[in-house]
Amino acid sequence: MAEKLEDLNLPLTVVTRIVKEALPEGVAISKEARTGLAKAASVFVLYVTSAATNIVKNNKRKALTGQDVLEAMSDIEFDRFVEPLRDALEQYKQTVSAKKLASGKKKDEMEEVEMVEDE
Amino acid sequence: MSTPKTEKDLHLPQSRVKTIMKSSPEVDAVGPEPLYLVTKVTELFVTDLAKRAFKNSKNNLLEYKHIADVVQEDDTLDFLREIMPRKITVRQFKEIMAKKAARGDNSDETSEESSSEEESCDESSSSNNSQNS
Repeated sequence: MAEKLEDLNLPLTVVTRIVKEALPEGVAISKEARTGLAKAASVFVLYVTSAATNIVKNNKRKALTGQDVLEAMSDIEFDRFVEPLRDALEQYKQTVSAKKLASGKKKDEMEEVEMVEDE
Repeated sequence: MSTPKTEKDLHLPQSRVKTIMKSSPEVDAVGPEPLYLVTKVTELFVTDLAKRAFKNSKNNLLEYKHIADVVQEDDTLDFLREIMPRKITVRQFKEIMAKKAARGDNSDETSEESSSEEESCDESSSSNNSQNS
């Protein structure tokens, strides 16, 4: 539950860092642009969530899955994110299973997974 | 594409993303996998929006209006239009209102009267349709 209203906003500093990484070095970002992007990101979370829960509802399921999030991207016409997201999910799954294997042992950073999947 | 970091590739705090997701009445539990993906895609979204907005910038400064322009021009960003309106000056506002008043003001369309710049979007069935002016 969100206790405070601020909890429904993504942290400005983190969003700004993402923006800085996206842009060429030395670009200044006005205060208003920062808050605008942070707000947009927060609303985007809800937008995606609602698109994904729609899929869940339509399939008469209860739990939200990663696949639902992927499918939601096409529903809201953000198809361009599907591929990178699918890759991220692959990596995430590998990281999770690697963690499970390595749990107990010293944390061994996985060697770089170089899977070039092209469709 | 291939970023060298395998783990810790997220910037945004997943806990906060989770809070936001759960603020939706239809969501009661969020598993780690959908949470990870929503967080990830939100970062992609911010990156994408910032890059596109920056194309509207003439110097090395990203400003609010650059973002607002992207939002108003891309229909898939419709969900942001209310929170990121184009800002106009008081004078522009008065001009718009004056035009509205002059036209008779019986259009319930509200606000989408983008005064000077023509944004006419008749790409569908504009086969020589003489519109009444």
